Amino acid sequence: MISSVFASLLASGRAQFNLRALDARRRFPALDMNQFSAFLHDGLDPLVVAVAAAAPERAGSFTLAAYDMALELVAHGLAGPAAKNPFLNTVWRELAPLFAPLLASAPVPVLGMLSNAAIHVSGVAGARPAQWHELMAAIAPQVANVAELRAVGQILAWRAGIAHFRLGAIAAADSLPPALALAAFGEPCADWPQLRAQLQENPWRGNAQGREFGAFTGLGGDFATPPQVRGTHDGFIVLSGERQYLLVADACGAVLHGATPEEYAQASMQLPAPVRLDGATLHIGSGSIELDLPPGDIALAANGHTLAITSPYTHAIRLLPLV
Amino acid sequence: MPPFNLFQRLSQAPTKPKAAPAARQFDVADLYQGPIGLGDEGETAARPFDEKLRQAYFWIVNHAIISPHYDIEYNDGPSQTYSVGDSRRTLNLPSAQSYSSFILLPLLTFATRRKCLFVGGPGRGKTASALLMGVLAGSSVKEVKRAMQHGHPQMTVADLLGNPLPFDMVNAQSMDDIRIAWRAWLGMRVKIVDEYNRIPTRTQSALLTVMGDNYAEVLNHIYECPEAAWYLTANDDQGGGTYQVIEALRDRVDVTVQALAFNPRFLNELLLRVEENLRPEELVPPEIIFSEAEVDQIGEAIRQVAVPDAVRRRLEFFASQFELFETAGGQFEYMTKDTARLSGADRGAAQAADNGRDRLKDLGCQTLNGISVRTLMALLIYAKAMAYFRGNGEVELEDLRQVLPFVLHNKLQPDPDAPFFALPENAAYRSDRLGWLRCLFDLSNDEFNRLDLDRDDPVGLLSAEFDQGLDGLSERETLARLNRIEKLIGERTRGRKLYGPLYDDLLKLKYLHQRYTNYRSWLRTQ
Repeated sequence: MISSVFASLLASGRAQFNLRALDARRRFPALDMNQFSAFLHDGLDPLVVAVAAAAPERAGSFTLAAYDMALELVAHGLAGPAAKNPFLNTVWRELAPLFAPLLASAPVPVLGMLSNAAIHVSGVAGARPAQWHELMAAIAPQVANVAELRAVGQILAWRAGIAHFRLGAIAAADSLPPALALAAFGEPCADWPQLRAQLQENPWRGNAQGREFGAFTGLGGDFATPPQVRGTHDGFIVLSGERQYLLVADACGAVLHGATPEEYAQASMQLPAPVRLDGATLHIGSGSIELDLPPGDIALAANGHTLAITSPYTHAIRLLPLV
Repeated sequence: MPPFNLFQRLSQAPTKPKAAPAARQFDVADLYQGPIGLGDEGETAARPFDEKLRQAYFWIVNHAIISPHYDIEYNDGPSQTYSVGDSRRTLNLPSAQSYSSFILLPLLTFATRRKCLFVGGPGRGKTASALLMGVLAGSSVKEVKRAMQHGHPQMTVADLLGNPLPFDMVNAQSMDDIRIAWRAWLGMRVKIVDEYNRIPTRTQSALLTVMGDNYAEVLNHIYECPEAAWYLTANDDQGGGTYQVIEALRDRVDVTVQALAFNPRFLNELLLRVEENLRPEELVPPEIIFSEAEVDQIGEAIRQVAVPDAVRRRLEFFASQFELFETAGGQFEYMTKDTARLSGADRGAAQAADNGRDRLKDLGCQTLNGISVRTLMALLIYAKAMAYFRGNGEVELEDLRQVLPFVLHNKLQPDPDAPFFALPENAAYRSDRLGWLRCLFDLSNDEFNRLDLDRDDPVGLLSAEFDQGLDGLSERETLARLNRIEKLIGERTRGRKLYGPLYDDLLKLKYLHQRYTNYRSWLRTQ
């Protein structure tokens, strides 16, 4: 059963809601009204209750806007019990209500941003939607307006593993009050200008271990053959089989993008002076690391801040910070 | 933008993904791009106009005109082909973004403000397509429909252009005092003439003036029309109809597009439109409406698209195949098909007197006429427009190859008695004009490759030398160049059959020779 407040709103605008549903059914012949009803119950009802509690006079307009969005999302198979990815359902049900005051004042931008972001985050291979959800929920009480929500969402998307958003997230943080920016980066006690400079200079700040990326496609990974890597300004150009990729990796995650043969050809094979391979022992400056790979045929590639280690005996790329 | 925008949804840019530049710029704002419109998307970031043109194309093919044909085929690497049927026709699955001619050519016509003829049986979407182009120019559907000129046997010049005001006719002391109530369509940037082959001949002449010279004249009063894209429709392209279309008017058409047959496998889309009472021309998204200034800029940008020398040379070689008719003229310059046509002489007799060239190999034997200057200019414009549409800064050979059949459709007339058409494998080209023209271009390119003209083009070298100018050229050097020209002519004319490309090369050499001769004469007077 839906809440009484939602039921009351639906009843009062019955003709309008029915017309919208009918219109959507014509536009989307595959729209399943049972799925939609279920999403109204599980996804929209909690939102309506939250908005009605925060701003009762805005509940009606919010419901109308959210209803339209729900139709669109369910019609595209993005929401509802049969959604391709259930994360959006979770965001509507659990996260969005935490932003009830903002939803009341700007339902389309706020719910639209949260919905689109949920789809985006859950669609990036290697991203951590659950972490994004958790971080957003934690910071929700501190977000005062739509602009802050926009920037905070972007910062937390980077922290949740969308590595190529790093520079954009830092830039977005410039629009936030310093305290909120620090909270978004998870360092409430730091000095924002100092933290900003460190984040800008060192993509691996907070992660000195580096990370391993990639696996065999037969086991659900990205690479059909052991990858070969060359350095580029943005990250690394990876060649596996007949395909090229751009790998962007940092402390928070690693994401693969498409690349071209030309980019691979133009990428760098040079190594910085402090890096040296001796059998299976990697020397970086004065430090050494024993690699668990057969010596010989180990390949190294580097860009300004990261060293990539590959071998014909593995489909994974080992990424180590150089800074 | 409301959340629902089925018919107004634009294909996401980029519509033609290209290789990304070395330095990637990731926009964190992409996090919020998704199926839900956020209300601030009305302020679309400034798009390049070629991107807007592509978005218009994809909106039309996806939502407006059901034309699931990809007859303009591009390949990026090998493509899958299948031989089908007893005739072993080839079904090609292109490996790169390909297009429907029925949508793309009218759109390029819109962008270049040229003239497009739609042909095809009744009810195939000719008028609907033209109507869409009018809406893309910013006119309302009502305005476009009311401005559309419908050809009929009783159409007068006044119907087409306008009437003198009766009051002025009675009271005027001179022609200058008469005001003309010009028809509103004359001022529109997209002009549509429906069934132009039903217009009486006298009225066709008035239409010719507007189409050809961009002005209308009634009782000595002139209305200067703005540059416009023209769309004419006809049920066939043979120039027949209620009235014979005058040749000059037919020749003003730059490109001919055939309405392709409707594929019944897409009947469900028609059903949706019937049930929803949907009219796509009323649902054109505002994001793909082009202002007059934008079309001006697009036209300028298209003109700036480069035609590489290698592509231009192949077009030159192709165009040189068709004009020569050796037995038509006594003087060298008059040995053309146009001379024969103008004289009204018996063409068959003239051909019979031909001197034993290989009539199968000679591409010129396949046609009744040559290619005019106007047609060549249209070909260049459309090739540039195609390259621009595909987001390229210069014309590729394939761009030329794809637009050529549509531009030459009405211009290069096949000779049905040519031996080429008698071969069983070429029989289909008697009716498939587009296929024949493309085959003709391919054969020309094969011959160009066989002669290695990319690397062995002495006439080209002499032309390039001349193009550097005559300033400071000494008499001695001028004589040397004259000798080189004469020597080359001697070599090229020794015991060879005269084919079209050789004919044009010799004329070019004569031109160069004459220019140097004049210059030498001038030098001697200094």
